[in-house]
Amino acid sequence: MMNEILRLEHIQKYYGNEGTLTKAIDDISFSVAKGEFIGIMGASGSGKTTLLNCISTIDTASAGHIYLDGTDVTEIKEKELARFRRINLGFVFQDFHLLDTLTISENIALALTINKVPAAEIDARVESIAKTLSIADILDKYPYQVSGGQKQRCACARAMINNPKLILADEPTGALDSHSSQMLLSTIQSLNEQLGATILMVTHDAFTASYANRILFLKDGRIFTELLKGDHARRAFFDKILNVLTMIGGGQTDVC
Amino acid sequence: MYAKFVFRNAKRSAKDYLVYVVTMTICVMLFYAFLSITSKYYHPDIGTEYEFTLISDELKMAICAVTLLLLFLIRYVNNYMLRRKQKEFAIQSVMGMEQKTVAWLFFAETFLMGAVSIVVGISLGVFCSQFITGMLLSAYGQAYQLSWTLFPDTVILTVCFFSCSLLVMGLCNVRTIRNIKIIDMLYADRQNEPHIKKSRYMPVISVLYAIFLLLAAVTGISQMYYYSDPRFPIPVHIMFWGNILVPAVSFLFSVVWCVMHKKWSFNRYVLVAAILSLANIGFAASVPVIQKKYMLSSGEGTLNEYLMFLLVDVSFWICCIIFLASNLLSEWKEKSPAQKYRGTNLFFFGQIISKLHTTSQTMTLICLTLVLSVFLFVAAPALTGWASGYLAVRSLYDVQISTSYNDVYATEDLPKDNYALVTSFLEEKNIAVAYDCTFNLYLPKQEDFHKRVKWDFPVVAISLSDYNALREMLGYEPISLNEGEFTTQWQTIAAEEDRNEFLRNHTVISTDMGTLSLAENAYHLEAIGETVYNPYTDVIYVFPDDICGNLLAVMRNRYVKTKTVIPYQEAVSLENAFVQKYPEKPDNGNDVRYYIRTSTQQINSTIAGNFVLQATFVYSAVVLMVICLTILSLQQLLDAAHYKYRFGVLHELGVDRQEAERLILKQLAVWFGLPITVAAFVSIIVAAYFFETISAQISAYIGVGALLTQVGAMVCILVLLLLCYFISTWILFQKSVTE
Repeated sequence: MMNEILRLEHIQKYYGNEGTLTKAIDDISFSVAKGEFIGIMGASGSGKTTLLNCISTIDTASAGHIYLDGTDVTEIKEKELARFRRINLGFVFQDFHLLDTLTISENIALALTINKVPAAEIDARVESIAKTLSIADILDKYPYQVSGGQKQRCACARAMINNPKLILADEPTGALDSHSSQMLLSTIQSLNEQLGATILMVTHDAFTASYANRILFLKDGRIFTELLKGDHARRAFFDKILNVLTMIGGGQTDVC
Repeated sequence: MYAKFVFRNAKRSAKDYLVYVVTMTICVMLFYAFLSITSKYYHPDIGTEYEFTLISDELKMAICAVTLLLLFLIRYVNNYMLRRKQKEFAIQSVMGMEQKTVAWLFFAETFLMGAVSIVVGISLGVFCSQFITGMLLSAYGQAYQLSWTLFPDTVILTVCFFSCSLLVMGLCNVRTIRNIKIIDMLYADRQNEPHIKKSRYMPVISVLYAIFLLLAAVTGISQMYYYSDPRFPIPVHIMFWGNILVPAVSFLFSVVWCVMHKKWSFNRYVLVAAILSLANIGFAASVPVIQKKYMLSSGEGTLNEYLMFLLVDVSFWICCIIFLASNLLSEWKEKSPAQKYRGTNLFFFGQIISKLHTTSQTMTLICLTLVLSVFLFVAAPALTGWASGYLAVRSLYDVQISTSYNDVYATEDLPKDNYALVTSFLEEKNIAVAYDCTFNLYLPKQEDFHKRVKWDFPVVAISLSDYNALREMLGYEPISLNEGEFTTQWQTIAAEEDRNEFLRNHTVISTDMGTLSLAENAYHLEAIGETVYNPYTDVIYVFPDDICGNLLAVMRNRYVKTKTVIPYQEAVSLENAFVQKYPEKPDNGNDVRYYIRTSTQQINSTIAGNFVLQATFVYSAVVLMVICLTILSLQQLLDAAHYKYRFGVLHELGVDRQEAERLILKQLAVWFGLPITVAAFVSIIVAAYFFETISAQISAYIGVGALLTQVGAMVCILVLLLLCYFISTWILFQKSVTE
């Protein structure tokens, strides 16, 4: 694949011991190109969050290799993992994971300070990304003073500000209403299209997934199928996603 | 079903609130141990000359009063538990349980935890009471003896006291739970604590302080009657005007700020008010010092009033410092981006500032309580040492009869009695007399008889033969004087500089019988009792007998040493019989005042008083310290859920474990460090001031070295206690955050 940024080779993840072995991920391999917006879908228990945790180095794979920009993350020593994460990865979680003791601006700046970015650059960079994500007017507010959509955009800004090689989003619209979800997804899409961010998004929601360029469907820890958006309009892509979901069981039948 | 529910929850809560249960147990243990010696079933063997029941009621009252403070701790922990458990209550309510039932289940659960603490606490108290018995027996100079008894009256009192406390707190909780809406309970953990800028706490404190300043200025003005005399030395004038002007200026500053508050931020106002309060502290503190130094008279209760002012000023200063700590830290953070954006500082500042913002009131209270606790710890050895040392100096004779002529204005009314009543009493009771001396004290010049100004009170003289008789009674070598010479005898408390200055100015003195010159052996320092000196003086002259024979005798004393110790009951009846014939406060007010002191009574009351003081001070100090440290520790541990989340976010952002552990240590160090540093700073100043005001007594009765050793030992115990709490909090916190 051209400009490959992430490659998974025969990833497996087991839980339990020999007697009661559960395979959460069973031999998954795929690649992600630089600047790609990939979605991972599947029913509950299909292994999508486990897969994300393995890629993000928060969890370790039982077997196989994960290469991020040529580095095998499964071989990185425990001590080096934190450093690797802060340089290469950005995270967006369902429940935002913002710090309530810091303002929106400080929450974004924290990602920079942890990366030891010179103090003089920080304010300008925070303001610039805040403008891009339309949260410049709430920078001095605390997370509890802003809406869920604004919180998630702040989380996106924090994930993006270090220009990571890969942004991992775990159900980013899970805690948002449909309007906020739509706005956030448009934002994520524009981050991908305009800033060239590589995004790997885990979701079980067909509407959310329809913003991605490619979708991997997981079932029982394996890749069930793959769907490419290609030149399809989002509506058509959404319908195709629903068809796959119907095939593997579950899904939604309407789109706004 | 509900009983099972209560037991299971209590079991789980005991694990959650281990620190609380342990603290309650310690408090019950201390309460029982100290109170056990006041039991009516407690009969230690302390000898016939001592009366032990003297202390029991006083001690019981003191311990119960101090323990009331524990209600604060119980209330505090209950509030925290309520807050933590609100979501659980909400879920139980949503599932269909009546809010009333939820409330009573929580009540039963907390009561069960409290009951366990009481039972364990009493069991440990039986062991701990051995230390108290040891302390008591050593105070009375007896050998230690074991007494393993569970005193029923003490057990009942302990159980009743703590059960009532738990009951009252529990009922408050029931009322609170029944009144909270389910929706509020459900989202309780999502609510953020109020921001300090919106809190009215500090503005209210400032208004109250401004009213207090006005009161202080008015009190200063009301002292004009006593201090406005231009003949007073300059320090008295500075103290007097300072205590009017500084509170007045501080008050005016508050008023001016109120008018112009838009131009000056509240933070700046608090900063200046804190500086002004320091000046107020200085002037209020100078009152007792200057008053003592220049022997000033003042209005009734003035000293207490100024000590109260001092307390209010210090409290306000601590409030300001804690309030400013978070606000100044916020300002400093904003003004220095280099510090703010260095590593994980942003996170660290966020943690500290948010905690300070929401808990500045608790922090201030903790600071004040810590200061009180430290003061009690260091004051106990000083005060008991003073009382014991003073006892050794004043109870040199088995019976001391002394007089004072302060209210006598005619020479014919001066005392001439031989106090035959004492002789007959001792004979009647078959108490053999070893030494007996009745003697006069003379004024060198008769014209001094009307000198009644405190700072110019005349020094009296004793004849050489009487002086030598006293020395013989006390086992000292007799002294001799040449013709035309005199010497001096000094109180133990007199300072060396004062003595040297006095001797320099009194090498020759004139008497009604001619002049006398100072002998080569100019002074004697052996303790001969304090009633031999004229009030407000630390010295007596020793004159040749032939001179004294023709001087005006103003006081007539009698000292007796018996061959056997006078039993306590006999000593009491002798004192009663004497007081009936020779009253201490004569009815007509213009007569001689007579005093009788028996060493049995003096020793008894001093030891009892000392023990009550020591026990109360140590008990209070330990209870206060335990309360403070527990609250500091609980505030961190009970918020561990928040911290776990926050440190989890840091972990996701790429902060490694070592850095997180370093942050935890830094955060706990600031959390414990801030109140302890402020309290230590204030305590050092308070202790230094206290020791300075009693410095003469320290050097006379205790000795600086001995006191420093005892205070050092107390400080070591405090540091140890603090370290135990800090380390256990650190370990538990780290475990709950990083597990």
